[in-house]
Amino acid sequence: MKPGLRGFFDSMEEYFADPGQVDRLYAAHPGWEASRSRVAIYGRLVRHHVNATLEKLFPLTRGGVGEERWEELVRAYEALRPGTSFELNRMGEGFPGFLADEAERRGLPGYVPALARFEWTDFEVFSSMEPVPERVERLTVNPTLAVLEHPFRLCAYVRAKGKGEPAAGQEMALLWRHPETLVTMYMAASDRALLAVKMAMEGLTPEGVASATGVPEADIRAALEECVKDGLVLAPG
Amino acid sequence: MPSSYARRHGLKPLGAGIGLRREFYAQLPETTRALDWVEIIPENFLTLGGRPQRALEACAERWTVLSHGVALNVGGPGPLDEDYLSRLKALVERVDAPFFSDHLCYTRLGGVYLYDLLPLPFSEEAVEHVVPRVREVMDRVERPFLLENPSYYARMPGGTLEEATFLRHVAEQADCGLLLDVNNVYVNSQNHGYEPRAFVDALPLERVVQIHLAGHERQPDVILDTHGAEVCDEVWELYRYVLERTGPVSTLIEWDQDIPSMDAVLDEADRARAVLAELEAR
Repeated sequence: MKPGLRGFFDSMEEYFADPGQVDRLYAAHPGWEASRSRVAIYGRLVRHHVNATLEKLFPLTRGGVGEERWEELVRAYEALRPGTSFELNRMGEGFPGFLADEAERRGLPGYVPALARFEWTDFEVFSSMEPVPERVERLTVNPTLAVLEHPFRLCAYVRAKGKGEPAAGQEMALLWRHPETLVTMYMAASDRALLAVKMAMEGLTPEGVASATGVPEADIRAALEECVKDGLVLAPG
Repeated sequence: MPSSYARRHGLKPLGAGIGLRREFYAQLPETTRALDWVEIIPENFLTLGGRPQRALEACAERWTVLSHGVALNVGGPGPLDEDYLSRLKALVERVDAPFFSDHLCYTRLGGVYLYDLLPLPFSEEAVEHVVPRVREVMDRVERPFLLENPSYYARMPGGTLEEATFLRHVAEQADCGLLLDVNNVYVNSQNHGYEPRAFVDALPLERVVQIHLAGHERQPDVILDTHGAEVCDEVWELYRYVLERTGPVSTLIEWDQDIPSMDAVLDEADRARAVLAELEAR
């Protein structure tokens, strides 16, 4: 038995790694008279914070794997990747990768790792610290934009709040935070959206694109306006 | 009259405040109700952009903003988290908080955050461990710092001191202020069978700069400090008892679970403000 405060911390660390082993904690402190049910509150609270956070971050993923398997996954993930950031939500960062590693062994539906990555990206975009300029001098890509590629139609699936399983099919998903409403926007990349992003990245003008492609300039301007309204790209003025 | 710690640091009572919680990000900055100051949990603003930042900026334009942390880990065994401290200092400076606070507890073991406020043994060894860490925090952030008395459901092994003595030794030796959570005093007194007023009397009340009031959940064999209900009558009475001994103190209505309408929280803040005014008028 280790003496003093160091011994206390070591015994608590061991306890929180496996709150079911409360006997071991008491064995480390002979004569400790605290009620076991009271001490167990701490084990439950610590576990609850992680569970509740992952449930909040990955609601559709949770639905996709089912309740029983979700609990097993969370327990395994917590043991493998305990929280090392003061910000509780960062717990979710490694979860999509963990699911990808575990998918085959645990027989998870094939779309689940990609869906978890989508949900995590949704949170990352929503909470991005990337400064979004209030004014821009030229057409600019929204700095919170994230691009995902996966072999499932996840945008439609997420919009339908995860009913059934997502359809198969290659998808490039664009996710960004709207500069005014500050909510995460997402869409399967369309020609219009990709054109607006390309124009912003390469400094192309509607006139130049019209001339190079033969598409009427009014159509290009309309596509651009739509993307500006959605906040995918930022325009001067 | 302000406490001596407050006086030494030029801190004045701010009145009654509420917490800037996610549920109120849009509403709170627009409220027309009386509100004297706002408290934030810094962990919600240190790395999260977008809505939290917009709400914080809007609130900081209208009110004094105080930072009340949950991840400082001032009682824990490992080194203080450098990244956290740097960000906390920047945030406290950004909102120009007159002081900041966290809990007398540990939150991290073996480099792993546990995301809960875990109680220390009430021992001289723990005092000796915590005091230099509190001083380090104050040196780093360069603002007056308050420690909150946490709730606890079990006395931790190795304790040799009374809870109030433990708090007194830490606060006096570190020379920090106290954030007295009156609900925690009540919850602890019920869970551990002591007289809450005697506990208050044993505290270094001259160091109390801020008060928290909150609700709790009564279970058959324990009261849980949930911050999920209205402040109960016993806690309001104890609040008066404290203020009669400290004079007016900045008071927060702390509501973190089952959060009701913002008006319901502001109603509680109104009640606290009325108590402050009544005692000040005496």
